[in-house]
Amino acid sequence: MAEDRLAQRERVFQQYKRDVKERGKPFYPYAMFHDTLMSFVVAVVIIGLAVIWKWTTPGHHTGFNLFGTTDHPDQAGWLGKLYDEPADPGTISFVPRPDWYFYFLFYLLRIFKWPDSVILGTVGIPTIALVLLIALPFIDLRSERRPLHRPVAMVAGILAILSMGILTYKGATAQESLPTENLTRVPGWAQKEGFTANKQAVAGAKLFAVVGCLNCHTYLGTGNHNLGAPDLSAEGAKRKGVAFQIAHLKCPSCVTKGSPMPSFANEGAENLNALAAFVEASQGPK
Amino acid sequence: MAAPSSRYERILYPVDWLEERSGLVGGVKYFLFRKVPGDTNWFQTLGSATLTAFLIQAVTGVILAMYYKPDPQNAYPSIVHITNDLWAGWLVRGMHRWGASVFIILMFLHMGRVFLFGAYKYPRELNWIIGVLLLALGLAEGFTGYLLPWDQTSYWATTVGININGSAPFLGPFLAQFLQGGTFINADTLSRFYAIHMLLLPGAIFALIGLHLYLVIRLGVTSPPWSKHPAGSGPVTPPAVPPRTGLTEPTPRGGSVRG
Repeated sequence: MAEDRLAQRERVFQQYKRDVKERGKPFYPYAMFHDTLMSFVVAVVIIGLAVIWKWTTPGHHTGFNLFGTTDHPDQAGWLGKLYDEPADPGTISFVPRPDWYFYFLFYLLRIFKWPDSVILGTVGIPTIALVLLIALPFIDLRSERRPLHRPVAMVAGILAILSMGILTYKGATAQESLPTENLTRVPGWAQKEGFTANKQAVAGAKLFAVVGCLNCHTYLGTGNHNLGAPDLSAEGAKRKGVAFQIAHLKCPSCVTKGSPMPSFANEGAENLNALAAFVEASQGPK
Repeated sequence: MAAPSSRYERILYPVDWLEERSGLVGGVKYFLFRKVPGDTNWFQTLGSATLTAFLIQAVTGVILAMYYKPDPQNAYPSIVHITNDLWAGWLVRGMHRWGASVFIILMFLHMGRVFLFGAYKYPRELNWIIGVLLLALGLAEGFTGYLLPWDQTSYWATTVGININGSAPFLGPFLAQFLQGGTFINADTLSRFYAIHMLLLPGAIFALIGLHLYLVIRLGVTSPPWSKHPAGSGPVTPPAVPPRTGLTEPTPRGGSVRG
């Protein structure tokens, strides 16, 4: 049977070549006209996006200005800021947010929780998707091309598009935690966790609230599951020790293999001590 | 080749000269006048639209490279300078910034079209694989380009991105090390990303696009699968036309096949 199929698809392709020769149309000018028009539309859209990006950026002359500057280029227009604050390895009040076409990957990291299954989200699923895509022509061997006669392929395709769309949407609408709001919760944390008297731990909690930890971690219901990072409300109950916490903050992946958490070594010894004291004091709500 | 004699031959002499030595003219003629199925439609312009978006990225990228400075001290100021001081600098940077998104959307749409048409099937399997590789390289362009403005967003997103690469089994740590040029993000990371972004990946993409187009021309494009008479279904029998008589068209017309 396999022989038949191979012979058949070869025959169809030879027929295709004859058909195109006999009743096809020349690429120029017919197809080329459509291609050129479409390319023109693409160029116009790209220029249009650039113009909207610049025009809508706030300033006292928000209008078109080919020669001059805009007054507040760090403020966001309709399409976002022209640029953010300069990179500062010492200030970790960051939002680790990729460009929009990586949102689906970004959100996968929230679905797979740290640490057991996060590797599925970061590496497993993207790798499987890529392998499936490459293997597609060898999985789907039928020569049938009409969509209605390929129900499995069509359903799989629609599911893939839907899941990419949903993940992208969820990634786009994911809320970030605001440092100022987090800071107001520190006294509450100290009370619930019972470290009000521990000055160093309270100082650490304040740092914890503002340096960006809560963009990925949660603590007593505050913060986000960005990147699938664990809840830290009872991290101290593991009794890993201050020395471990400091080493971990300095180089997370050195201590916990495969951790995507960035290094906080730039915070300096005093801050690291406070953060470590805070984490160790977090024995879970009393 | 004989010396040009007529005026016509003298005008076309450079073309003949080139053709005799390279065969390029014949190649271009073949490309332009090759037959495609008569029923190709607008969906099938997405590939060339993607190519256009990539070429816009290439051109604006070259212009940006003339002013961008890939080291941590100067990268951010050079971006500000391009955006605010250079004539139409904002336009070139804006086109590159948003062209990236358009390029990636078009790659996905083009892939969706090929999937819908079943155009990845025999004998076009290899071209599908090249397309998937192009998609992966395009996304890698997006990832490496995102760091270059060297602002807070790009710096921290890339830090986490590299760490995720590093968490992959086997090759992960090596990949992270290769991307960063060290164990952490450092001064070399930026120039390394820049080199990957504007030399390594575009070179690979150009080469693969060349192969992709070669295979498109060699194997031809498919008819839409729902076409009444798709190429490959055999000759179309002309519909019987009843003989008609009249003043304007006295002879019966043979049924003409739609081109």
